[in-house]
Amino acid sequence: MTRFWNVRENADALFAGFLLVTVLALCVLVPLLWPIDPVRGTLTATFKPPLSIIGGEWHPLGTDQLGRDLFARLGLGTAISLSIVLAASAISVVLGTTLGMIAGYYRGWFDIIIMRAVDVQLAIPFILLILLIVAVIGPSMGNLVVVLGVTGWAVFARVARAKTLEIRELEYIDASRSIGLSDMVIIFRHVLPNIVGPITVLMTLDLPRLIILEASVGFLGLGVRPPTPTLGNLIGEGRAFILLANWLVLYPGLVIGALVIGCNLIGDWLVRRADSRNT
Amino acid sequence: MKTLSFITGRALQGLVVMFGVSAIVFFALFLTGDPAAMMMSPDASRAELEAFRQAMGFNDPIWVQYGRFLASALTGELGTSLRFQRPALGLLIERLPATALLAMTALLWSSLLGFVLGTIAAIRKNSAIDFAIRIISLLGQAIPVFWLALLLIIFFSLKLRWLPSSGIGSAAHLIMPSIALGAYYLSAITRLVRASLIEVLGENYIRTARAKGISSWRIIVHHALRNALIPVITVQGMYFASLLGGALVTEIIFAWPGIGRLAVEAIQNRDFPVVQAVVLFAAAVFVIVNFLVDLAYVWLNPRIRL
Repeated sequence: MTRFWNVRENADALFAGFLLVTVLALCVLVPLLWPIDPVRGTLTATFKPPLSIIGGEWHPLGTDQLGRDLFARLGLGTAISLSIVLAASAISVVLGTTLGMIAGYYRGWFDIIIMRAVDVQLAIPFILLILLIVAVIGPSMGNLVVVLGVTGWAVFARVARAKTLEIRELEYIDASRSIGLSDMVIIFRHVLPNIVGPITVLMTLDLPRLIILEASVGFLGLGVRPPTPTLGNLIGEGRAFILLANWLVLYPGLVIGALVIGCNLIGDWLVRRADSRNT
Repeated sequence: MKTLSFITGRALQGLVVMFGVSAIVFFALFLTGDPAAMMMSPDASRAELEAFRQAMGFNDPIWVQYGRFLASALTGELGTSLRFQRPALGLLIERLPATALLAMTALLWSSLLGFVLGTIAAIRKNSAIDFAIRIISLLGQAIPVFWLALLLIIFFSLKLRWLPSSGIGSAAHLIMPSIALGAYYLSAITRLVRASLIEVLGENYIRTARAKGISSWRIIVHHALRNALIPVITVQGMYFASLLGGALVTEIIFAWPGIGRLAVEAIQNRDFPVVQAVVLFAAAVFVIVNFLVDLAYVWLNPRIRL
């Protein structure tokens, strides 16, 4: 426990924690507490640079082409993007882990099919598939969550299967079988707890991919539709005005960067901790 | 013998993957709705639509239609663009050189620089320069392609007025798109080379070489890098998919007339046969690249060449 607080050794995790807490504060507190409406604009106050005060309203990050407050929009946009990403990640994790465990536990034809499906999934360019499906079924938040979630299961299935293959050879699994526990009980009560660790690490390292994917879809104008802000569509909308108001592009990008760096550092730190415990 | 079975095994696996991709693409297109309504003019009568459906075979059972789709895909027939009324494959091939040029340039500079940075970081492990290189690679992986692209435009096109902000034509047009596209790759390669080289430098045969008095430079170039290359090459194939995703947004931002832009415009115009062709093509390239990676793996790693 003393090692956990060794600042020098865990500096990266502390920095990552700082980044993630800052972003979380932005996306929780701003939509709740910031008095300025993120969707309603003031047409007499368009393209005001950061730190402007107009009509008694302070705009710390400036305003956009419709005079809307960027700080309020960024807070709400981060909250929406992050909700989409986390919900999608949960779907990927549950789907991938379940299929991977079943494939690894039973082996046989189910295993073969699942593993070939993983290969197929990884060979298809995600972003094209996502854009295609969203274009077909419509770009609502729910649809985005489902599409991002369902297309992200493959890596989790691969890792869950590999771990299950190891675990099913252990003695306590034999013991569970010999006292007559059903396969499902063994898989979910006795295999699952042992692969939660690696899956959590993988999820942390997979989040940056989802964050950037969701932002790319939004940037291309095929995600959640404006005026509802997301990290991606804020940058996509701001792109037309970079000559006039580069802050519209600058700040949403910084939030994406902070999120991704935070997740990557935490992921690396978790891997390192797991490694040092094993050796 | 082992080599041969390894290679044929991988080739078969690639074929299975392509088969699966074709099925997904076909059924995704099936979800898009009635193709007859899309291809005919909106004022066509019900009887005309029905006759068209019959003639095109849209009334056949779905597996018959899939079989037909597969057969024509194998002969290079990938449907007709609804927007341009031209074969989708032809449109794709027209746009291929631009994307290939962009992707190759991006890959080339980022791999070379990534190799140099990764090697320096591994040799000077835990020094200030290693720390600086790690920060660069962390940033490269965290910055979305489109954001980096816009920053480059703001700085080099709008402020300094050095480089054209969009289009194709001269070497200057190629600079910013290939930087934006290669940045992620640069950090990936740097991280991989660093990690892999640090591991190899700890091996016994490196110590033996040192003990024999071989110069450090020679050890790194002749003994360590070759082995450190193996894991780097193996994951190359995996990064290929993200390269395509990056190419999509890069081409949109810089108005680069490549396959990525073709695909996004096709999606925006609901021109699904073109999207279908691009997905199939990208998956085929992915499978081929991964196969080549497997071959390179065999070549680099004599241990499996038994």
